[in-house]
Amino acid sequence: MDGKIIVVTSGKGGVGKTTITASIGAALALQGKRVAVVDMDIGLRNLDVVMGLENRIVFNIVDIIQGRCKIKQAAIKDRRIDNLYLIPASQSDDKNAIKPENMVWLCGKLRKEFDITLLDCPAGIEQGFRNSIVAADEAVVVCTPEVSAVRDADRIIGLLYAQSITPKLIVNRIVPRMVENGDMLSHEDVVEVLSIDLLGLIEMDEYVVVSTNTGTPLVLQEDSKAGKALHRIALRLDGHPDLPIENPMIQKTFWKKLSSKFSRKN
Amino acid sequence: MNFNSLLKKLMNKPASKDVAKQRLKFALLTDKLDVKKDMLKDLQKDLIEVISRYFEIDKESITIDIQRSEECSALVFNSPILSATHKRGAPAA
Repeated sequence: MDGKIIVVTSGKGGVGKTTITASIGAALALQGKRVAVVDMDIGLRNLDVVMGLENRIVFNIVDIIQGRCKIKQAAIKDRRIDNLYLIPASQSDDKNAIKPENMVWLCGKLRKEFDITLLDCPAGIEQGFRNSIVAADEAVVVCTPEVSAVRDADRIIGLLYAQSITPKLIVNRIVPRMVENGDMLSHEDVVEVLSIDLLGLIEMDEYVVVSTNTGTPLVLQEDSKAGKALHRIALRLDGHPDLPIENPMIQKTFWKKLSSKFSRKN
Repeated sequence: MNFNSLLKKLMNKPASKDVAKQRLKFALLTDKLDVKKDMLKDLQKDLIEVISRYFEIDKESITIDIQRSEECSALVFNSPILSATHKRGAPAA
């Protein structure tokens, strides 16, 4: 059976696409799937450093497309997680080095080799975005609970619909304390504005910075809330769509619980 | 709930996330209404054609515009009517 191609996109930059792509890829591989993650940000590659594989790059996606190497030669195998492969972007070319028809061809090949291919889409709606969605079967839209990110997500969702793809939403970097105080859009607010199905909710988590610093997979950090959420997102993406979505909550200490009970009585 | 948010509640200030949501809804609406100038021109041409069947209008002083306010967005078509009488009778249905 052919594998599926999933694009991870957002419109706005800096909302966590690359970390989420790397983490979902790692989680799916840990669940036993054969996974490729592809960096589509030609000229500004970053998925390699997030995954800690930057020292092992020999060939890249443009080399594959221009016939200088085979997919197997360019795909870097992760040493910590079996069945996880990275196809890096080229750092010296620009986005026009790849055309949509090249991606259709490449995705056709990737479907034969891998169960799941995740495309890490660059920010923006230009050529890199077009290349990333042209052959995708499914799409994941990432946004943070901020006005700018939600607005860009809305634009991206419209463009995906035009391509006959129905995307699913991940709301990233939720700060439960701010949501409770009414100082951050809740995921219900975001879903209401975007009217789109939810795939998962990820809490703001310092482990993300630490694991990016060292290039170690977030999903291997057992105490990371974001890592746990990403494991569940990966399950939902592949075979367990009905796994309940956990809502990030404030961890209440004994005294806080007691005081909130007390204030309710008043 | 901390002291600051309690203070805001007492002062009857809206939660900042509600402000964000309101602004977002409005921005998305206007984004979608951000139509090309050509489209408005075409619409104007079509409208003149239709209205001219019923009224004699001053084709030169017509304005068509999308106006946005805090509350809503509206398509505003402004045309002086030169003659209220039907130009050549109501067209057959």
